[in-house]
Amino acid sequence: MHDTTSGAGGGTRAGVDVLIAEDSRIQARMLERRLTEAGHTVRWGENGALALALARERRPDIIVSDIEMPEMTGYEFCKAVKTDPALRTIPFILLSTLSDPIDIIRGLDAGADNYVTKPYEPDYLLARMDALLATPLTAADDAGGEMLEVTLAGQKFRVRAGRQQVLNLLVSTFENAVSKNQELVVANQELSVARDGLQKSNEELTSLNAEISRINSHMIRDLKAAAKVQRSLLPPDDVEIPGTHVAWRYVPCQSLAGDFLNVFPLDAEHAGLFVVDVSGHGVPSSLMAVTVGRFLTPKVSDSSLLVRQGPDGRVTVVPPAEVATQLNRLFQADEFSGLYFTLLYGVLHLPTGRFDYCSGGHPALVRLPADGGDVEFHPMESFPIAFVPDVEYEQRSLQLVAGDRLFLYSDGVPEAMDKDRNPYGDEAMAACLRASRGQPIADGVAGLLSAVETWCVPEGPLDDVSILGVEWQPSSLTNDPSGRSSSSRPR
Amino acid sequence: MDQFRRIQTGKTGNIHLVMFKDKKILDDTVLDEIRTELTHMIGKASGPDVLLDFSNVEFMSSAMLGLLGQLHRKISTGHGRLKMCGIRPEILTVFKITNLDKLFSIHKDAPTALATFT
Repeated sequence: MHDTTSGAGGGTRAGVDVLIAEDSRIQARMLERRLTEAGHTVRWGENGALALALARERRPDIIVSDIEMPEMTGYEFCKAVKTDPALRTIPFILLSTLSDPIDIIRGLDAGADNYVTKPYEPDYLLARMDALLATPLTAADDAGGEMLEVTLAGQKFRVRAGRQQVLNLLVSTFENAVSKNQELVVANQELSVARDGLQKSNEELTSLNAEISRINSHMIRDLKAAAKVQRSLLPPDDVEIPGTHVAWRYVPCQSLAGDFLNVFPLDAEHAGLFVVDVSGHGVPSSLMAVTVGRFLTPKVSDSSLLVRQGPDGRVTVVPPAEVATQLNRLFQADEFSGLYFTLLYGVLHLPTGRFDYCSGGHPALVRLPADGGDVEFHPMESFPIAFVPDVEYEQRSLQLVAGDRLFLYSDGVPEAMDKDRNPYGDEAMAACLRASRGQPIADGVAGLLSAVETWCVPEGPLDDVSILGVEWQPSSLTNDPSGRSSSSRPR
Repeated sequence: MDQFRRIQTGKTGNIHLVMFKDKKILDDTVLDEIRTELTHMIGKASGPDVLLDFSNVEFMSSAMLGLLGQLHRKISTGHGRLKMCGIRPEILTVFKITNLDKLFSIHKDAPTALATFT
């Protein structure tokens, strides 16, 4: 990067006795090696005092000195050399950072002949040495000894310097400036190349951004479509089943949920109801939810596990335990993906109020008795579906009395966490449901949801929340004489 | 010994020890990394004995249970044994609701669990 036309390397005079004052061992070694390569003799002192001693021991041809050194600085060393009659004509090069114009004055004052700014190219230093040795100071030159007054940055300096020394210093300062300027020009060119590159990268980024936003809008569209499919797994808002009052609430924590629930008539005498909670969230869980949903349909079909049609056309309701066992078998077919689900599925016999149910690792069924008795939890020990192969699920029964309410829910209710990560818990849920006694069941379900949401303020629930409530009201059952017939009611 | 981000591993005799570093195992990304690291750790070992130490874990998502199920299946297929220890009562509740405390071999702490491997 430096202009070395002044004949670095080859044209340098050989056999010069060089004295280096430099406190950095590494820098001294590097300089020494380069000078030795050029055929010079090199001595080195690691501070001004040591170097001065070396100079007095044997007069060098030229001195190269750093400025910042312990014991004796480069300025002090220079002054000592220049005031020593035996040494004063030795050319003296200061290695300076030249960060302050006052440095020049200090150098002048100390009597330095030349400046080389750090960092420097060794060849550049060699060229400067050549130039200095070519125009030696004569004893006469420095004899003048006039005092010059210089004002710099509001400060007056009185320096004593010979004409040749001032000229040398002026030239070296100018050469330094030229060299730095060339570096600046090159740096500027590099910057301009970099700027062009940056502009190009920027354009590429912009086009990538457009691509990402296009893909993103596709994904949002797909997610919306998937969420719509998922909503089709839920009962209608105004679901009505004769002989019952039904209410449900469902709040997914993301656009796609792992939870879903449903309640529907299975035939004229039976209503089926379930809550399913697939582990995890997002696309994989919701896909599994949709797949599970296909099997949990009251429509007589090949895929329905809930109802089956005999060869005589009679439709029978499959017992909940068999449904769970079948589901478990079906979802074991693949290599276990790490996805599983919990399920609470029950069948309510509308004329008698008998409730058969089965749990697959699901939180307890809750009953709020109509007779004023306390909230009952009916937990069932069982594995989640798709977790353990070849499990025979058990079935339980509850005999309801008119007005009894059953609540099915996902673990998003009892495990909802407040800001200190305390779970909402069974106790709070029981208290909430107890308090809703006497209100319509829709209010009881809505009240529980809002209690959970309040519990989770400010972050909101981190899990899907599903709540399904059913109240058995046989009085609302129209006395249909064909009620006990086997006619199926595909809807 | 390999350095993992999510798990700390060790070995005593033929038993692989795994300590989960995370306090919360809720995020899908964390879960995926744990899955990868566990798979990597068990690697080629056929029928390994593995002890999972949950002492650091304060919160755990239900999806983690699925991962444990996978691991359980993989290890038992090779006639290895999977045991767990250091599970907090709050987390143990999740195991109990899903009955998985019966499927998995769960112990109070590492020394107790290690004693049952013999």
